[in-house]
Amino acid sequence: MRPVRTILILSLAALGVAGAAEAAKVNIRAVMHERHEGMESVGKAFKALRREFDSSSPNAATVRASANQIATLANRSSGWFPKGSGPEAGKTGAKPEIWRNWPDFVAKERAFQKSAQAFRSAAATGDMNAAKARFADLGGTCKACHDKYRAEMHH
Amino acid sequence: MPRQVPGGDAPLSGRPPTQPVWDLPVRLVHWLLAGLIGFSWWSIENHHTDWHMWSGFAILTLLVFRLLWGFVGSSTARFAGFVRGPRAVAGYLRGGWSGIGHNPLGALSVIALLAAVAVQVGLGLIAEDEDGLYTGPLYRLVSIDTSDQARDLHEAWFNVILALIALHVAAILFYRLRGKRLTKPMITGRALLDPEAEPMRPGKWWVALLSLAAALAFTRWLVAGAPPFGT
Repeated sequence: MRPVRTILILSLAALGVAGAAEAAKVNIRAVMHERHEGMESVGKAFKALRREFDSSSPNAATVRASANQIATLANRSSGWFPKGSGPEAGKTGAKPEIWRNWPDFVAKERAFQKSAQAFRSAAATGDMNAAKARFADLGGTCKACHDKYRAEMHH
Repeated sequence: MPRQVPGGDAPLSGRPPTQPVWDLPVRLVHWLLAGLIGFSWWSIENHHTDWHMWSGFAILTLLVFRLLWGFVGSSTARFAGFVRGPRAVAGYLRGGWSGIGHNPLGALSVIALLAAVAVQVGLGLIAEDEDGLYTGPLYRLVSIDTSDQARDLHEAWFNVILALIALHVAAILFYRLRGKRLTKPMITGRALLDPEAEPMRPGKWWVALLSLAAALAFTRWLVAGAPPFGT
């Protein structure tokens, strides 16, 4: 019967829309998870580097490996802040100010990426003094963004 | 009307005579500790991590000084003079204590507060902030995970200190309601004491200066990473 077919098509369309929305929600959650894990990895690498640089003779290979890791993650971070991945989507340290001040946030993100790349280059040369200086700059870019755009997250 | 001749060290104004009970080092440590604990809390709440750390180092210095003074200071400062066992505490509660300075129950409070603050300082010495931008001077003695855990514990432990401070203030108020003023003596160092009780034996000022110098030197050494251990 005609009305039944109409109802069937409309129901399938509604399910399709709902499914797409659900998929988008799942995607946001996946990005947020990758963001959280990624930032934790950056932090862990940073802390390991801190200990390495404070030791009497920093190991150049260890420093290089950690610097590479941070630079790789920094480059990936551009995709970690899609619209809708703030506190409205769930538990996160990302403050809504990120999307309210998007140009400023992106500028700080670029600064982080540039600094990570400079640090990786310095680490590749094996010159620990140069690497140490770039490492200090890198910490500055972390702080500049976090002070403004990260909320406390108690696990 | 004949002018009243004052007895003892009573001033002409006619106020009852007070006796020394708390020496200057004890009073300075008490109030500086209170102020620095407050400042430590305020500074980290407002993200001044560097000020927070220096406040912690100052507290460490005070704790070490107080520990030393507890062995070589005035009679009311010495731990041997007021730290007693549970029987003495029970005896005090039954009304059977005579003395000046900390009573056996108050002694528990002193030890608990000093110990709790010492734990807090200890945790801070090995902690690092969430990003690894700020580290306690002894952070390299432990692993990254331990430093991170120490930070979380350091944050939670403040609630223990707050509870002990609340208890301490409540106790002072409780004594005040029963007619015993305790705050003013901790400021002026003098109180109305039982004239039969043994008076306070003051400490020596040069011993106090030496103790302070030792405390400062110890803190300096720790802040430098406790070489050769932390480096």
